[in-house]
Amino acid sequence: MQYSNPHIPEGINTSQQNPLREFAILTGGLLVIVVVVALGLSLLVDHFANRIPFSAEKALTRRFETTTASQEMETYLNTLAQQLAQAQDLPPEFSIKVHYVDADTINAFATLGGNIVMFRGILERLPNENSLAMVLAHEIAHIKHRDPIRGAGRGVVIALALTTVSATLSNAVTDQVLASGGLLTALQFSREQESEADATALESLTRHYGHVDGADALFEVLEKESSSMAPPEFFNSHPGTETRIERIHQFATTLTGPEKIELTPLPPRFSDWFKRKEKKPAGASQRLP
Amino acid sequence: MQDLITFLVLLTFGYGFGRVIEARHYKSIISRENKFRGIPAVAIKVPPLGRPFTVALVQGNVVISVDYFKRFLAGLRNLFGGRVTSYESLLDRARREAILRMKEQAASQGAKLIFNVKLTTSSISQGRRGQIGSVEVLAYGTAIIE
Repeated sequence: MQYSNPHIPEGINTSQQNPLREFAILTGGLLVIVVVVALGLSLLVDHFANRIPFSAEKALTRRFETTTASQEMETYLNTLAQQLAQAQDLPPEFSIKVHYVDADTINAFATLGGNIVMFRGILERLPNENSLAMVLAHEIAHIKHRDPIRGAGRGVVIALALTTVSATLSNAVTDQVLASGGLLTALQFSREQESEADATALESLTRHYGHVDGADALFEVLEKESSSMAPPEFFNSHPGTETRIERIHQFATTLTGPEKIELTPLPPRFSDWFKRKEKKPAGASQRLP
Repeated sequence: MQDLITFLVLLTFGYGFGRVIEARHYKSIISRENKFRGIPAVAIKVPPLGRPFTVALVQGNVVISVDYFKRFLAGLRNLFGGRVTSYESLLDRARREAILRMKEQAASQGAKLIFNVKLTTSSISQGRRGQIGSVEVLAYGTAIIE
């Protein structure tokens, strides 16, 4: 008997297709699924976040107690915040705590547990109490609408889902990539949430001051600071500042009030309260989740 | 972000090196298969020749590592199902290389034929998570030396 190992053509036991093609199809498919699942989950979380009691939210942030850079500033901000919260009909179980942070950042934000952080950067640039009240009322509105817990809930649920997916992939690096990508999306509120917060803020300003004049000063400040590199509205979570100013003016035309409106000035000693310190305090911004 | 960059760099390196090494290996496999075509390796269990001869155990062993890109692709396949084409070429190379090494050993002993050829495959890093796996293939058979 004759034995031989004849030449067998290549490509029977292997695929001749370029693996990059397979890679593109599979990663593309995975990304589409991830986006669809993430969107579905955030809609679900949005729906259920309102049922999380505010006390649970407060318990989450209780261990992040902070020291203040200026007691006077914080007292003033909190007093104003309480008045605005009343004007906004904030339910009694909601408590607002404003923190003042001695830093140049031109920003303010609301986070879990009814905590609002105001930076020196934005306070220094506001010309009157009305515009300051607009910032505070906007952040209080976020808390009233439960936006922080919705954002955080969304982040947690999406990160959890992504970790499950990447565990299937059994790859430590993709784990991290997917998880950090999921958390990134959680830190910002959506444009709808911002618009709603603006609307609620304007209503509470009307109740508190009787008019909304001066509120647009806030956006003029923001516009001035970011005009050089303002991204198109679509890419930004906040509606464009021009749109926001326009909405204030529109809202103002629906109000009937005294012809001559006087803006409320800031307290006379306001600028003394900034207390620029050499040493930066451990800001709430770094410690709150 | 840094994780993403590390990941993409690893993926690119895996793809680049993996492709070059695989192409080079196939070239070498095909040329050596032609060289050793004179020593057939068959799976038949009964010694085929009627004349007296001596026999010897010959074996060829190879360990090949999977690259980062192939592993990632196989991981994606875990999710969707289907042919894990990225591992197919890896195992094909390992089997053919093991048989070639076995033939090399047989040739050095002046063998004309290898019968009762068997192949065993094992995963080197089996059960260890987060480790790049390697595959081992052992080919062994009985060489007929006249």
